Amino acid sequence: MPRYAMVIDLQRCVGCGSCSISCRSENNVPEGIYWSNKITETSGTFPNVRYHYIPTLCNHCDNAPCVRGCPTQAMHKLENGITMHDPDKCIGCKYCEFNCPYGVIYFNWRKPHPFWRQQDALIEGGTSSPAEEAKKAGGKVIPYYNPERAETLPGIRPKGVVEKCTFCDHRVKKGLLPRCVEACPADARIFGDISNPNSQVSKLLGKFRPFRLREQLGTDPHVFYIRDFNPAHYQPTKGGV
Amino acid sequence: MSRSKSAYWIWMGLLGVAILAGLVAAFQLFTKGHYLFNANDVLMWSLPLGVYIYLALTSTGLTLLASLPLVFGIQKYEPLAKRLVFLAIATLVGAFVSIGLELGNVWHMFYIMLSPNLSSPIWWMGFIYSVELVVLAVKFWRLHVGDWHSPLGKVLGHASFLAAIVAPLMIGSVFGLTESRVTYFGPVMSIYCLMMAILSGAALCLFYNLVLARIGGSGLSESIYAIQDDMARIFTWAMGLVIVFTLVKVAIESATVIPDFLNYHKYAQIFGGIGNLNTEVILGLLLPFVLMAIPSIRSTDAGRMLASGLVLVGTLAMHMEILLAGQSRPIGPKAEQYPDYIQYFPSIYEWLVMLLAVAVALLLYTLGERYLKLEAAPEH
Repeated sequence: MPRYAMVIDLQRCVGCGSCSISCRSENNVPEGIYWSNKITETSGTFPNVRYHYIPTLCNHCDNAPCVRGCPTQAMHKLENGITMHDPDKCIGCKYCEFNCPYGVIYFNWRKPHPFWRQQDALIEGGTSSPAEEAKKAGGKVIPYYNPERAETLPGIRPKGVVEKCTFCDHRVKKGLLPRCVEACPADARIFGDISNPNSQVSKLLGKFRPFRLREQLGTDPHVFYIRDFNPAHYQPTKGGV
Repeated sequence: MSRSKSAYWIWMGLLGVAILAGLVAAFQLFTKGHYLFNANDVLMWSLPLGVYIYLALTSTGLTLLASLPLVFGIQKYEPLAKRLVFLAIATLVGAFVSIGLELGNVWHMFYIMLSPNLSSPIWWMGFIYSVELVVLAVKFWRLHVGDWHSPLGKVLGHASFLAAIVAPLMIGSVFGLTESRVTYFGPVMSIYCLMMAILSGAALCLFYNLVLARIGGSGLSESIYAIQDDMARIFTWAMGLVIVFTLVKVAIESATVIPDFLNYHKYAQIFGGIGNLNTEVILGLLLPFVLMAIPSIRSTDAGRMLASGLVLVGTLAMHMEILLAGQSRPIGPKAEQYPDYIQYFPSIYEWLVMLLAVAVALLLYTLGERYLKLEAAPEH
């Protein structure tokens, strides 16, 4: 059985957000919820400043605190290492969200996609309502609804339960790459079987010194970061007193 | 209609209105969703969860006090036993109301039994409190039919005592096992919850008996009066324990340079304070302790009522402070969508959930006092 992992090459990543947008449409993710997200940081003091961009998603940890804490095993591990959630078992206690050290789990505080449920037209008699638009497009709640998502998880998760990235388990099952990996224009995301020494991810992890987020917590995250985007250079110097 | 009778019906009417308002809020939560709370994906556990912790721990404290006569055989306290068991049940029911309305999908609760996760402190917490409720209910029934010393009664007493010891440890573990939130003080949080349970249980016992005597108009009965002195002592000792713990906690928070604590400390005083001491600690813990340390005050009913009343409010505030301060800053990428610090004030729906939980407990107290002969004790 493979053990899936992702390597994110920060030198290749340009911070375009394509991963987040493609994830959103692939997984029918509602507004306010981010399966694929980012951490941005600014370091230094003007005029000597730099901007850092770290794409984030569920780390599919081996020692996942969300899985350990879930009272009903709604949050569980698949054999291939993917951390999966079953909304039908979720009681909405939000302990996984509380327990996750990475801030990648979200709760459906309301019925998802409220905008596309609106029955009122913007201009009475002039435009159709969002709900009519969605219906015309044949979508389920949203016009851009992706029915493939429903193969392993409710296509749109109901209110009162949590949701998060699943490494696109429904695609991986069919031998396809996660949507964010496929959509990355810079090939900054590399996905594969970390238990196979010949996989691309294993080779990259042997070639560069990777880091993972909050490694000291012992969660054993399976999203690895390599290299850093930094085109800056400087004249050799020993500094001074 | 006599004055006391009309006061009773006014009281029942008020409880009825409170419960009705709470049920309307519950219906809205079930149909519209929990966005009606002022919670979000950073500060996800708010007032209803704080109320649950408070009521559940208070129920635990009452059970532990009841175990003095029922498990440890201290006959002197027997006149309190039946009432304490009943109060523990009623308070726990209030706690369940509060957590039931906090959960996003309470209808899936049967998966707690069908698909248990034994590594989850929340599972253990839910399981133990459910067992405790059932055991207490059966124990109460046995006491109600006059069975004080049968083997079954003893087993039930021991089981409820054990559950009452473990349950607060589990509530503490829910927070303490969250390695990524060090400000919850790890496993020590379980000890804190146990001490807080004894404190709020003793405070409620003291306060309740005094209120009951005042409502009855005849003052405390002689047997209860003698016990109240001991309860006041237990109450003061419990305050002392929590004060020691709190001062050590404040000292560590003040001295540490771990970044999480530096951020936490900046936002920990939600209700304000003097120096590093929070307002609720000063008014809800230190002040009542001082009051109970002064002989001329601690021997009076008014002094005891004031001190226990302050603690009853103070312990809820202390639970809320710890709960909220540990969630006030966004983790990881959530900092992209949320401000550095989450301001929180409960929404009307959160207040109504609290009102419903407390009103249900008070309704049960009232009905119990009226119909269930709570002062019954065995004849020796």
